[in-house]
Amino acid sequence: MWLVFKKEVIELLRDRKTLFFMIALPLLFFPIIFGGVFYFSGKAIQEAQEKTLKFAVVGGEFAPILTKQLSARDDLTIVKTSLSSDDEAGIKAFVKTEKVDFVLVVPSTFSNDVLSSGQQTIMLYLNDAGLNMVQRRVNEVVKEIENTNQQSAFISLGVSEAIQEGLLNPIVIEKVSIADKREDLGEKIGGFIPYLVFILCLQGAMLPATDIGAGEKERGTLETLLITPIPRQDLVMGKFFTIAFAGVTSAMVTIGSMFVWGVLLAQGMAIKLITEFMGAISPIDFVLMFLMLVPVVAIFASLLLSLSIYARSFKEAQGYMTPLVFLTIIPIIIALLPGIELKGVYAWIPLTNVALAMKELIKGTMDYMALIPIFVSTSVIAGLLIAFCVYWFKREKVLFR
Amino acid sequence: MIEISHLAKKFKVENPKKLSEQERKDPRLKGKFFHSVQDVNFMCDHGQVLGLLGPNGAGKTTTLRMLSTALAPDGGSIKINGVDVLKNPLVARQKIGFLSGSTGLYGRLTGRENIAYFGRLHGMSDTAIANKIDELTELLDLSTFLERRSENFSTGMKQRISIARAVVHDPEVVILDEPTTGLDIMATQTVIEFIKGLKDKQVPVIFSTHHLDEVEQLCDTVTVIDEGRTKYNGDIESFAGLSGKTLHDSFMVSII
Repeated sequence: MWLVFKKEVIELLRDRKTLFFMIALPLLFFPIIFGGVFYFSGKAIQEAQEKTLKFAVVGGEFAPILTKQLSARDDLTIVKTSLSSDDEAGIKAFVKTEKVDFVLVVPSTFSNDVLSSGQQTIMLYLNDAGLNMVQRRVNEVVKEIENTNQQSAFISLGVSEAIQEGLLNPIVIEKVSIADKREDLGEKIGGFIPYLVFILCLQGAMLPATDIGAGEKERGTLETLLITPIPRQDLVMGKFFTIAFAGVTSAMVTIGSMFVWGVLLAQGMAIKLITEFMGAISPIDFVLMFLMLVPVVAIFASLLLSLSIYARSFKEAQGYMTPLVFLTIIPIIIALLPGIELKGVYAWIPLTNVALAMKELIKGTMDYMALIPIFVSTSVIAGLLIAFCVYWFKREKVLFR
Repeated sequence: MIEISHLAKKFKVENPKKLSEQERKDPRLKGKFFHSVQDVNFMCDHGQVLGLLGPNGAGKTTTLRMLSTALAPDGGSIKINGVDVLKNPLVARQKIGFLSGSTGLYGRLTGRENIAYFGRLHGMSDTAIANKIDELTELLDLSTFLERRSENFSTGMKQRISIARAVVHDPEVVILDEPTTGLDIMATQTVIEFIKGLKDKQVPVIFSTHHLDEVEQLCDTVTVIDEGRTKYNGDIESFAGLSGKTLHDSFMVSII
């Protein structure tokens, strides 16, 4: 068995395509995802912040303070317009053609005297589809005027400062979340991680599986191997361990890469939240994630080997394996559904339970007793599939199709 | 010595609709089963080369696959130097060297690694393998490409490494299924010389081919099979005498 394994691994390590999917892809995937998302979103935010926005005010004569304060800002440039407030289509076209970034339409009834005019409505026309700073900058100016107008009204009414607060916010709800940052972020991204890890494991194991099953048939080496004095189960196990080795290597590289790049990029980009989040996941949690992936990889390896040995050619094997990727996604999707927790029947569903457990480990809310059904169910399924693989390998109908 | 008696093998036809007109008319198609080999008998003694002849689809490859233990027969018996192949396939495999024209090599392994892998699978020590490879290198002229990866080998190079791989463990019997198919004259000559070498060492060789000139050069006995049954068994002289003309004519006489 180990002779077969050793030879298969040598061949595996000499195949650039397999090495790419097994090591390079998982190694590069996370820096590309993390780095790419951080870099491009950071750049977009920076560009939006630095951009000087052009604006126009229709009815500016009714709100001279607002117009003056907006014009006074360095990041805003006023554009004169002869548009009237009735010409909504013209205003929209003015923004749409990017002559200005936004238009404020002030009603003729606008007044700074809150007590006489009540609540005021100023229309803001903007293209809100992309990232922009329009609302933030307008709000900053409006808030200032709002505060001044409120203050004037309260003084006129003779309302004390304490009552003012009560009038403005009669009831304040102070939220005390018992979820720490790790749990919060883990809930958001924890379901996504197993999805990536499973697919990368499968991807890492797929090529070697195709090569050492259907590839052997296509090359004409299988028959020669079958007539050597090695029991069939030893041949299967040698091949199985090779595929599992590729999958586990892929998983190890994936999780290692996820951990290292997550911390490095977060520190390099001074993203405190991510640094804290990554730091909060203990090495034991990472080890547990890896250990749970072992039976998962065994399930994948035996399924892939069975499909590969059934196929007549490399191409046919790839045709059979593609649906497996979609089948793998189903249990992960179940784990992502709202209300699905690592309890009861879900703790016993292979793959779904591992996906849920990985999420719990990332969140830091893992019930370690759930490891029992996870390891039992995935190991039993993996064992049965390996037994099937050995049976499959003894079938002439499969080997000599 | 190789003894085959009343060998039979049938395959279930998975999709009868996919059979060609010719296959449907084949008398070996009985219900859901195709009786590829129905009654094959022959014997090959030490120092003999047996030529296994037959038209395409006669059942030669299936017979040789059963002989090599890759397929299990449905009936009959195979004995290699007294060992029942059906009862002791692992023991029998130690005694067999098998090579076909379609045999491939592991492309990412060197010629040496390919040979050594099969040596190890046969339980040989590294020293024994190294010594045997040295011997085969000289015999089959492997030195110029032995250390190169086999993915870029020519057909002739591949076949020479395949021969070395098939006999690295010094098998007691050698089975060759159309070993010269697709080879050029030089490579074919190497194979023929190698078979002669085996004969000199008293190793029984079963040799399936369509090239009657090779049969003439190498074989002591001939077995002709058609439609899964032995049609002729005898020495080469008697076979030639079937028509009194060429071996080709004798072959045609044997299958009528």
